[in-house]
Amino acid sequence: MSEFTIAQREREAVHVLELKGYLDAHTAPKLEEAFQGLLKDQRFNIIVNCKDLSYISSAGLGVFMAYIEDVRKNNGDIKLSNMSTKVYNVFDLLGFPLLYEITPDEQDAYNKFGNALTRK
Amino acid sequence: MPPSSSSPSYESHFEHSALFEFSTVINASLDLRFILGHILLTLMGKLLSSRALVALAHEDGRYRVEMTKGLPAGLEGNELMIKTLPSTVAHVGRMSEKRHPWIAYFAEHDLSILIPLVASKRQIGILAFSARQGGRGLTKQEETYLRSLASISASAIEKCHMIDELGLVNRKLDRKIQELNTLFEVGKEFGAVLDPDKLIRLLVFSLLGQVGVNRYLICLKEGSDMRIAASRIDGAAPQPELLAGLTRIHAGVHIDEMIVTGAIDPRPVLLALCLKVAVPMELQGQTRGVLLLGEKLNREPFTPADFEFLSALSSLAIIALENARLFQQAIEKQKMEDELAIAREIQKGLLPSILPALPGYELAAANFSSKQVGGDYYDAIPLDDHRLILAIGDVSGKGTPASLLMANIQATIRALVPLDLPLTDLTARVNNLMCPNTGGSRFVTFFWGCLDHARRTFTYVNAGHNHPYLLHADGTVDRLDKGGMILGVMETMVPYEEGAAELREGDVLVLFTDGVSEAMNAASEEYGEERLEAVIRKGAGWGAQGLIDIIHQDITAHAHGAPQSDDITMMVMRVTA
Repeated sequence: MSEFTIAQREREAVHVLELKGYLDAHTAPKLEEAFQGLLKDQRFNIIVNCKDLSYISSAGLGVFMAYIEDVRKNNGDIKLSNMSTKVYNVFDLLGFPLLYEITPDEQDAYNKFGNALTRK
Repeated sequence: MPPSSSSPSYESHFEHSALFEFSTVINASLDLRFILGHILLTLMGKLLSSRALVALAHEDGRYRVEMTKGLPAGLEGNELMIKTLPSTVAHVGRMSEKRHPWIAYFAEHDLSILIPLVASKRQIGILAFSARQGGRGLTKQEETYLRSLASISASAIEKCHMIDELGLVNRKLDRKIQELNTLFEVGKEFGAVLDPDKLIRLLVFSLLGQVGVNRYLICLKEGSDMRIAASRIDGAAPQPELLAGLTRIHAGVHIDEMIVTGAIDPRPVLLALCLKVAVPMELQGQTRGVLLLGEKLNREPFTPADFEFLSALSSLAIIALENARLFQQAIEKQKMEDELAIAREIQKGLLPSILPALPGYELAAANFSSKQVGGDYYDAIPLDDHRLILAIGDVSGKGTPASLLMANIQATIRALVPLDLPLTDLTARVNNLMCPNTGGSRFVTFFWGCLDHARRTFTYVNAGHNHPYLLHADGTVDRLDKGGMILGVMETMVPYEEGAAELREGDVLVLFTDGVSEAMNAASEEYGEERLEAVIRKGAGWGAQGLIDIIHQDITAHAHGAPQSDDITMMVMRVTA
């Protein structure tokens, strides 16, 4: 049975989701739920830290696709960080680096929000 | 004596080692730009040229300038149409511009020496250099040397191309594997999910993630209409009539290339919604839904491989949706069966579970339903200390409608009996009350009688029911046929008649429904009243319950396992003293 958990924490105006385990068709609804919650709470600056994400499938990627537009429409962004090579390869294969900011470290992603945050 | 520096063998040795070194350097790298740079610089050194350019052939036959040295910036990327390259080292000045119009480009940039790059007999590019400083021409030996350098260069470039191509093929393969993984995973997950909404969401996620689209419209066929199951589009949803025509699609298509056969052309509306491709969701060759997708976010066109993937994914999805639908149907059927079972219990409760005990009489009854609920009815209602009403009825039709009417007649009778009116009047009233409830399309055959056990009389009214048997102890049989019209067809116009019989010890009264006399065997032969009468005569001595058992056994023997379409109901009264 594939395990997948999401831990959430705040870094000032940025919301961090820490994904752990297998993100596939079976567990994708969990991530969807997390994004729905963030949108409901008007939290649009989101970093998804993938440090402990061991696998991602297309359905998992689909969740990012389904929410990016709503987030960006509200002047926010979903940035991804700390991906393992294996996970990055899947993102890369499907052309995601063109559409999403993917940084090696969470801090880099956080810094990239910097400008947007001070502008507020 | 060592060879002098000017001797041919020394020069040859020098050139060989230079060639060897050149070859080692460019073959050690897979970086095309490094290789091209090294080629240009090496040849510029050899030719003492100050300007150089390399253009490589592309699949469409064009040559693209890949790198320049000593030339103004901005030439890289220029495209040249070159039909035939010179076969060997050539001088622009000695070539005919008429035959080779493209040399104008080189002349313009003062590039006069052209060297073709040929690998595996294929022209893969061209090197061009400015005339050597000092204007000295090339010796034959120098030309040979240049050809060797060009040949080594061409192989190195070719190798680079092949590695690149291999990289591309590998990436395509990785993508294919990713697609298969997705199909495998989605197939597995689809099999475990029975909620149609959840299935659609999974389908959407897989589409968005794998294909990289963000605009979609998924419609599913419902009856002859198309219903939108999920969508993300900029604009109002298309009208159902517009989508209905999409069921004619049997293969994935680009919407602008779609062939329209129906009356309405859906293309303008779909294209206005930025939808680019349509993929049918087929189940057993029938289009049961359509996926409409917008442009990919990376703006790449949809490839045949994309269509293959989409077709496989949509097949999996439609199968899963169909399974979910069938599962839902099975649940509903089960629910209905459960409800029918409850209805059956309720209906059983409408029949008397215990018949009143009368001194000097035996009374027994039985009802065997062919379906879960049926339309047969019998009752025994005490009127006072010496009178008892016995009733039997059969509602036309079967199943739930019949059972509802049966409940209706039971309630009517139970309500009217305490009025203690003559049976003929009561029958007329029951009929008038039933008529509005049958809608004219159903009727009830009904028989009832009043047993006065003090006076040993049985008065009755038969409203079109199978004539009951009254078998007297002396062997004579009366069929109780007095009465009138069946109930529920029209209001009572002609009064019902009353019949009457005297009862003596040993007399047996048998009430039955047509499920008894018309019980069928596998050869569609009816049980028949003759056989019924014979069994009644034979079993009359076995008591009321005994006679019912004997008749039922005999019917069962006749039917021989053939399923009965009608309810079987009997009531027997025997005068014991």
